[in-house]
Amino acid sequence: MPPAAQTLSERFDPKMLAALEGLDFKARYVMEGFLSGLHDSPFHGFSVEFSDYRNYQPGDDLRHLDWRLFARTDRLCIKRYMQETNVRFYVVCDTSASMQYRGTTAWGSKLECARILAAALTWFLLKQNDAAGMVTLSGGPRVEGQVPSLTTGPRRSTLDSGHPAIPEFIRPSQRPNQFGLILRQLELLRAAGGPCLAELLQHTVRLVHRRSVILFFSDLLEPSDDVALGFKQLRFHGHEVIIFQVLDRDELEFPFTEPKVFEDLETGVRRVVSPAAARETYLERFNAFMAAYQDLFHSLEMSHCVVRTDENPWRALAVFLSERKRLK
Amino acid sequence: MPFSFLNPWLWLGALALAAPLWLHLRRKQETNLLPFSALRFLDDQPEPRASPWRLRNLVLFVLRALALLALVGAFAWPYVHEGNTAPIKESRVYVLDNTLSHQANDGFGHDRDRILRDLGKAAVDIQVAVVELSSTPRVLVSFGDDRAIAKRKLQELQPSFQRGSYLAAFRQASSLLANSLGGVKRIIFLGDNQENQWNENVNTPPFLRDLEIEMPKAGPPLLPNLSLSEPRVQRIFLGDKSLVNFTVKLSHAGEAKAANIVLRANEQVIFNRAVELEKQPETILLQAQWEAEPALWTRGEVTVEGVPDALAADNRVFFSLAPVVEGKVALLAQSHYLRLALSPEIMRGQWATRVLEPSKLSGELASNQDADVLVLESNYLQSADARKLLFRYLSNGRGVILLVNRLTPAIKGCLHELGFEAEGTVTAGKQNAEKFMFVFSNHPIFHPFLSPDYGNLMDVKVSKYIRLKTSQAMPLVFSEKGNGLFFQGTKTQGKLFVLPFGLDREHSTWPVHQTFIPFLDLTLQTARAEDPTPTNFEPGEVALVQLPAGSPVREVVLRDATMGSPLPSDGREARGEGNAAPAITRAPVEQGRAQVRLPDKPGLYASSYDDRDQIEKVFSINPSPKESQLVYVDASAALKVWQVAESKGQSLKPKVGLPARAKISLAGILQQRLWWWMELAGLGALMLEMVVADLKRRAES
Repeated sequence: MPPAAQTLSERFDPKMLAALEGLDFKARYVMEGFLSGLHDSPFHGFSVEFSDYRNYQPGDDLRHLDWRLFARTDRLCIKRYMQETNVRFYVVCDTSASMQYRGTTAWGSKLECARILAAALTWFLLKQNDAAGMVTLSGGPRVEGQVPSLTTGPRRSTLDSGHPAIPEFIRPSQRPNQFGLILRQLELLRAAGGPCLAELLQHTVRLVHRRSVILFFSDLLEPSDDVALGFKQLRFHGHEVIIFQVLDRDELEFPFTEPKVFEDLETGVRRVVSPAAARETYLERFNAFMAAYQDLFHSLEMSHCVVRTDENPWRALAVFLSERKRLK
Repeated sequence: MPFSFLNPWLWLGALALAAPLWLHLRRKQETNLLPFSALRFLDDQPEPRASPWRLRNLVLFVLRALALLALVGAFAWPYVHEGNTAPIKESRVYVLDNTLSHQANDGFGHDRDRILRDLGKAAVDIQVAVVELSSTPRVLVSFGDDRAIAKRKLQELQPSFQRGSYLAAFRQASSLLANSLGGVKRIIFLGDNQENQWNENVNTPPFLRDLEIEMPKAGPPLLPNLSLSEPRVQRIFLGDKSLVNFTVKLSHAGEAKAANIVLRANEQVIFNRAVELEKQPETILLQAQWEAEPALWTRGEVTVEGVPDALAADNRVFFSLAPVVEGKVALLAQSHYLRLALSPEIMRGQWATRVLEPSKLSGELASNQDADVLVLESNYLQSADARKLLFRYLSNGRGVILLVNRLTPAIKGCLHELGFEAEGTVTAGKQNAEKFMFVFSNHPIFHPFLSPDYGNLMDVKVSKYIRLKTSQAMPLVFSEKGNGLFFQGTKTQGKLFVLPFGLDREHSTWPVHQTFIPFLDLTLQTARAEDPTPTNFEPGEVALVQLPAGSPVREVVLRDATMGSPLPSDGREARGEGNAAPAITRAPVEQGRAQVRLPDKPGLYASSYDDRDQIEKVFSINPSPKESQLVYVDASAALKVWQVAESKGQSLKPKVGLPARAKISLAGILQQRLWWWMELAGLGALMLEMVVADLKRRAES
């Protein structure tokens, strides 16, 4: 089927994504794939033109005079968009151990999905002359990947080694090397350790001073009470927050059938679970958990988007663009 | 080896055990475990219990168990000697008397059987050795030999005809026990307790320390026995006849009333008759003579039969006599009787006489063609040449018969040099001539005269003789007045016989006596230089054969020459036609000598050089006469002398110490075939387990 005739979902090829090496290529694949299909999507009509001018008024800073326009048109205009419409975006990514989970139907782990989305959005923002920055947590030596376990002896723990988490902060900028900077930081992210959302939000509140847009990537698999304060503080400081909740199909639907011993990725606790008997309880609790967060975000007027790792991430991009337009 | 946690082999084995366990634990993967990110919603689900052990894979289990067992077994007992790793409780040495006397009433056989029985019954913590008592005691079975090998060696052991030393055997046993491992050290003596054996080495410093000694039960003090010993054979020429004179001692102990004697020579029965033993002394000298071709070897044997006779092995003796080789005599005498007696007509090929001219003695000296024996009268000693000739003969090992028929200062001086002092002349006159009062009948010269066939020496009279005194000669004949009438010198290399009178009617009646010719012949035979190699030996002895300097002979070959065996040469050189008996021993010649170990079995054995057939010597092997003395003692005083006396306060019995450790040696380890097999089996099981586990994992994934 020719690309033009494909739907967005059809156009997204996880194998292609997996074959691309390098986060920047993956990010561009996602973003450009999204953008190239915009005319087929219900989201057409967005303009990517971002330049805006106003007439020069005495007293304006001559550094912002568009001299080329003057040379062409003899008109004195100030680049208002660049000054007045410059929004700071921050990418905040959850790197707790639960983010490493990858179901059998997912095209990547939750962290991988969040990483690609964050990179894609960063690339887009920088392309649009927006300033992008980043806030993450890095806490000493972390162990990545699957949790190997032994029948005897101490488990090799996925928990943090005990070192306090150190926030990594990249100041928003439009510099040409900003994408590379953020990209490198994204590539260094490793899912390990226990719950850290509250701590991450606190650092974000502390580090982000000016009103900004926070792009928050997490699975939010922590009690909403613990993190509500952070979100409220962000709202209190005037930040706009767009939450991208990355979840796996296994978490959303609990499709397991065989009784197994489940081991929590963050705490290491093991439970013998018979899915047939436990599914209903699980879904009930999970949906309640989701509802609680939705209520929270609704109350805080924060955009909330669920991103499934077994689906294409463009819906999340659409949500973002919609919000961006509103913010402008 | 006793188990010990300090044994490094234990830790090595533990390491080998831990290796497969560690591999197993590493390889084992948690199955049925699902990492999940949202388990917080199922925190009311039960926690997993420790799963009960259950056998998941029989093949892997069996392989791992086999590997463990093989490796544990290999390192648990690396030193296996037929499964015997127990500490040694007792070290035991049997001294088995394998001398001739112990064959009486089959004593050797009974004692050998006893050792075989004990070997079968002895526990594994008793180590056993056997020392064979023979002419040279040897370790027949050592402590390291296993029981099967020990039994085989004992069963193969044959009774010997040798005489051995109790002392040497006990020293051998003591030396073995000094290096043994047992807490208790014991010598078990299995012999006949022969009296002459124990008496031989009584005065020996003690050397048996901390040993228990078990002696045989007392038997009868004496056993009846008939035996033959000391065969002696000589050639005597009596007129035209060449006779062989033979004597042998017959010993009898017990109640035998008669014994049958059979004498064979050169496959002919010389005599076969019974000898009465009642009222006879314990030792009887039997004598025989017969005509024999002088140019041939004379080989013979004598046997005795009678009852009761506890030991039959000493009932046979062998003898041999070399063929006559014409001797050369140099005569420097005026005695007509002597000249006649030594003439070819009388001597008939036994002696070739060359009469020396007194005026040509210088030429005789210069020619250096000395005869075998020099016969000279003392009056020629006035001549310096004659004296030189005399001393040359003696210094070259040749014989001299000196007839002192005259005394002068020069002659006295010469006699003095020979070790004789002339004290004057005794002139008894014909009326008062002195007879031979005493004759040394055991001397080879006079031994045949025990037979009356050669005449009676006591009838010889001497009317005039020189009285000689000497401390360097042995008088063989004494006169009625106790003066020496015939001497054998002991000072010189060559044999010197001195007659203090001349052989003429003026001095003696001997020249016309019946005994004169045989006497002369025997004296010449005795005076002639002999081959230093003796020919009469006991079983197991070593004969030293000396060869002339520069001899090209490479080896001395010994063959059986007992009657009935083919004897390819009878003193004459013959071209061998392959009829010779097979060689028994070949002894290499080194620096002109060859050491020939003689067989254990009594008999006649001919020696030759290299591959030649010519017989050089015939050795007569006869048992020692001492072995025929079946007189026993009950308690051995010698044994008490040999044992080190225990100091006061100490226990007489040796202390039983801790079990000694088996010595560890690399060679001993490498010889443990079972150990190596177990190692290989363990490693093979491990490798197979790895392969099976890998296949299983791949199948599951």
